Amino acid sequence: MTVLRVDLDAFSANLRAIASRVAPAAPMLVVKDDAYGHGLAPIVRRAWDDGIRWFGAFDVATGRAVRAELGADPRVFVWVVGTRDEAAAAVAAGLDVGVGDSALLEDIAHAAARAGTAVRVHLKIDSGLHRNGVRAEEWPAFVARAADLERNGAIVVVGVWSHIAEASDDEDDAARDVFDAAWSSALAAGLRPSLRHLAASAAAFARPQFRYDLVRVGAFAYGIRSAGGPAEADLGIRPIAALQSAVQTVGAGAAAIGIGALDGLPSTLAGRVDVGTPAGPRRLLHVDAHQSVVEGWTDAAPGDLVTIYGPPETGAPSATTLAEEIDTIGEEIALRVSPLIPREQVPPSRN
Amino acid sequence: MTAADLERDAAPTARRSAPIARISRSALRDNAALAARALPAGLPLVGDVRGDAWGHGAHVVAEALRHAGVERLRGDDITSPEAAVAGIATTAEPNVDPLTVYGLPGGDLAARPALRLSGEVLATKALRRGEGVSYGFTHRAFADTRIALITGGYAQGIVRGLGNSASVTIAGIPHPIVGRVAMDVCVIDIGGSAVTRGAEAVYLGDPARGEPGIADWITATGLGAAELIAVVGQRASREYVA
Repeated sequence: MTVLRVDLDAFSANLRAIASRVAPAAPMLVVKDDAYGHGLAPIVRRAWDDGIRWFGAFDVATGRAVRAELGADPRVFVWVVGTRDEAAAAVAAGLDVGVGDSALLEDIAHAAARAGTAVRVHLKIDSGLHRNGVRAEEWPAFVARAADLERNGAIVVVGVWSHIAEASDDEDDAARDVFDAAWSSALAAGLRPSLRHLAASAAAFARPQFRYDLVRVGAFAYGIRSAGGPAEADLGIRPIAALQSAVQTVGAGAAAIGIGALDGLPSTLAGRVDVGTPAGPRRLLHVDAHQSVVEGWTDAAPGDLVTIYGPPETGAPSATTLAEEIDTIGEEIALRVSPLIPREQVPPSRN
Repeated sequence: MTAADLERDAAPTARRSAPIARISRSALRDNAALAARALPAGLPLVGDVRGDAWGHGAHVVAEALRHAGVERLRGDDITSPEAAVAGIATTAEPNVDPLTVYGLPGGDLAARPALRLSGEVLATKALRRGEGVSYGFTHRAFADTRIALITGGYAQGIVRGLGNSASVTIAGIPHPIVGRVAMDVCVIDIGGSAVTRGAEAVYLGDPARGEPGIADWITATGLGAAELIAVVGQRASREYVA
């Protein structure tokens, strides 16, 4: 038996910590990839009940899944739209669309014009991350074109946004200067957006001047701290998920549990980390395809639950602590957990 | 109803914002026959469909294995319902080599990869000398070049550690992944190649045709073939081809 137990009350507490930390900016809860593998529907339902009004869905399919759960009221932001079909679906679902290149701007405006409606657009400046986003030298032409499309009634530019690299404070400050200049340039082009969003979890917590109007928070809402960053307690958050697997067999000085590398537990963790057992932390000795072996404890018995990662009271490390041992981040540990492993919400979801 | 069901029902078309894992039924059938022939005649054949058949889909792999004369299938907590449907569930130890069935390194050399993972180019743009890419700026351009943003990230099993140490191919030409792989996208250096929006970027293809394969990922990450391919197949959008 292996399960990912998701504590919705801990999630609510994290949301409260985030809201009070970033106020007066509003939090956008990022729920891409099945809410970072925690199970989309119960997460967005609880967040809505807790007062979250913005959801960051990444793609149109996830945006529609949020709509299916919560209806027409929440603002749902998507920022990767791969095809004209997806653009049409985004318009039909009333999603807010992040647009970071000129071809997508044309596609989304075209889809809105065909539907006879106007789509809400957030224009993305590349402030230095060099991933999605329009480069600064191309930005004036981009916002001029957006202003044309807005006058034609196909789009309404409601926001300007970007991602930062979090490589160093100096480089992030330089990115913020690019961002501020892009905002001014959008206003000069005749656009009247009201929303600026630049920061994700880490910067939103650490640097007030990065909060602007909206902050996009994923990791911290799930209690996943940044690798190499402040501890959960210092941030006022705690992990909401516990990945647990039952002991199958007990041998000399070791217990075998029913989770392995094919369930998404990286084999490179073997010998490097402790996991939580009923007797406290014990070394994870081997990770095989379908099973793992944990250092034994007195009275270990089949059926005992071992926690791979979870909140402190389980005796297990956090996902981020595991990640740090293999040079990655807690999000990757959470996202590799097989979708075939059941997600169990505590308290049980009301729907 | 799970979130995955909801997403599937909600999806108007194939999710082009996510990479696609295309699984070849004919490769599975040919590979399964190879794997079965490698065992002594008369030995009862036991196939392995655990981990949703290493992310290839237990139903489809079960069909290929039965076609190759495999009478029994080993499932696990998760995939045993699939085997039960086929009426051939067992707890016996599998003896049909999954590395051969899926066409992975360590299996029969005549087997070919059954799973092909491709992303799609979302946008291209300039990158100037000295500019950094992605979180932490772990890559900086040595010279002026062009980059492409492509679908696919560590949420689909494209390991974060592949940044700066693996490549994709577009129209047969390799392009390195530069900077950290993000959750759902990554950036490649396309140099002077004429790469357009919508082009297919192959993360995992057929090494015999010069495409990247799992062996490259094993070298770059230290992870094993089984876990690498299983997480990709379990998390990416899956399609089946003849």
